[in-house]
Amino acid sequence: MSGPINVRELPVGARVVLVNGAEAEVVSNPNDGVWLFARYVSAPAEPALVGQEEMIFAQDVAEVRA
Amino acid sequence: MATNGMHGYRPGLVDLATGLISREIFVNDDIYVQEQERVFARSWLFVGHESQIPNPGDFFVSRMGEESVILCRDRAGLIHVFLNSCRHRGMKVCRYDDGNTAVFTCPYHGWSYGTDGALVGVPYFREAYRSELDKAKWGLVEVAQLCNYKGTIWANWDPDAPPFLEYLGEFRRFLDLILDGWDGREGQAELLGGVQKWLIPCNWKFPAENFSGDSYHNISHRSVDLVGVGPSGKSRRDYSELNVARKLHVAIPERGHQTITYVLPKDFEPQPVYQNSPEVAEYFRHCEEERRKRPGPNARLIGAPGEIFPNVALLPRQPRTLAVWHPKNAHQTEVWRFFFVDRDAPPAVKNFLRDYYIRYSGPAGMTEQDDMENWNYAHAASRGVIARRYPYTYEMGMGHAVEDYAFEGLRMPGRVIDITTAQASEEPMRNLYGRWAQFMEADSWDELMTWRRNSSRELAAAK
Repeated sequence: MSGPINVRELPVGARVVLVNGAEAEVVSNPNDGVWLFARYVSAPAEPALVGQEEMIFAQDVAEVRA
Repeated sequence: MATNGMHGYRPGLVDLATGLISREIFVNDDIYVQEQERVFARSWLFVGHESQIPNPGDFFVSRMGEESVILCRDRAGLIHVFLNSCRHRGMKVCRYDDGNTAVFTCPYHGWSYGTDGALVGVPYFREAYRSELDKAKWGLVEVAQLCNYKGTIWANWDPDAPPFLEYLGEFRRFLDLILDGWDGREGQAELLGGVQKWLIPCNWKFPAENFSGDSYHNISHRSVDLVGVGPSGKSRRDYSELNVARKLHVAIPERGHQTITYVLPKDFEPQPVYQNSPEVAEYFRHCEEERRKRPGPNARLIGAPGEIFPNVALLPRQPRTLAVWHPKNAHQTEVWRFFFVDRDAPPAVKNFLRDYYIRYSGPAGMTEQDDMENWNYAHAASRGVIARRYPYTYEMGMGHAVEDYAFEGLRMPGRVIDITTAQASEEPMRNLYGRWAQFMEADSWDELMTWRRNSSRELAAAK
């Protein structure tokens, strides 16, 4: 498992994988190190979320897509 | 002595019949605690200036009494004042002095609020709270009332307080002397530079009393006068006009606001000022000419130190500044000084004034240093058990204030003592502490709005 991810460094457009397996694209970053505004690209556990924008908690970010 | 009871402040601690005021109101910790609830949680307090937050997302962290508050402009452009404390466990949600942000995020557990105060981010909302928390109930605490008066932002925690302009009453014209342009146009002031902030070891009422209109302490500033820090290189201000004006103490009894003011004779011509800088001298000559052409009561008024109850001091006539005496505890005050200048003034004028303002006011200002020495040592020398037995006297000029004072057709509001010859009175201080005592005794704003009762009686009598 990789170390903690510094969400402050994630630019708009970055893709992140969440701990529940969903994937989201950053739409804006408040740079508080705690939250990201992101749009769901995929959400296997809850498909209805795809296309929706939500605030993503930093501890829910498991991985940054290369 | 009644220090803990809800009643008895006036006879026990603030005795206006004899002009005696106990030192306890300055140094007693219990009284200080009661002040936070009875005075600061119910009064209109100055928070900042709209020019500090021109864009959506801009914020300025200010204070109301002991409490940290956030003055901010939301994404829709609306101005808000919020308590700077997370609703979950109380952590400050903003620890910067000012800036721009999309959200205020608590660093403790991560709750996040929009610039409109709404709770927008709750970690593990679905998982831990099972989506059951009603976010709408848990936004940032917002002040009950807010007023933007000519760019200055005032706020009040009490929904039952009167609107700000009613709270100001007839004192408004003296605040206008700062906020209107030097040429008399409405609302032309903008902040010059940042806010000077510093701590002083005295109770907040020492500076509040001083700025209420203490013209008796001028001897303290003798050295500054002798050095000549004034904008013309003489004295500490430009005094030539003041020599022909009537010098007045004006106190608004039912509001607790008071000031020194000068009234010029009719048809008095502007005098040369700021002669050390021709461009600045010409700017003010032009402004004074324009000001005299405008109708209204302020064309012949020259502003001087004053106080808006409880803790906002004004100094309209150079340096043009508002100060806030934020209480920290009974024995410490955090001073915030805001400087103003005409928005349209040429850069040379702004630069000249900035140098003069700093030379005069603030922690490095030569005049303010004189004042701080007095307040700080007076406070320390009043804390001892022996010192507390001996009240201060505020008897100067008792019984000599008049109502409906007018000079060459210009009427003054409130109770007035003409101190042109007398030099000083303590009517402003009696007014300040009389109102303070009313706040400490009253259980609600209904009791404090005596003017509404009086006008009701007058209306009933007229019928």
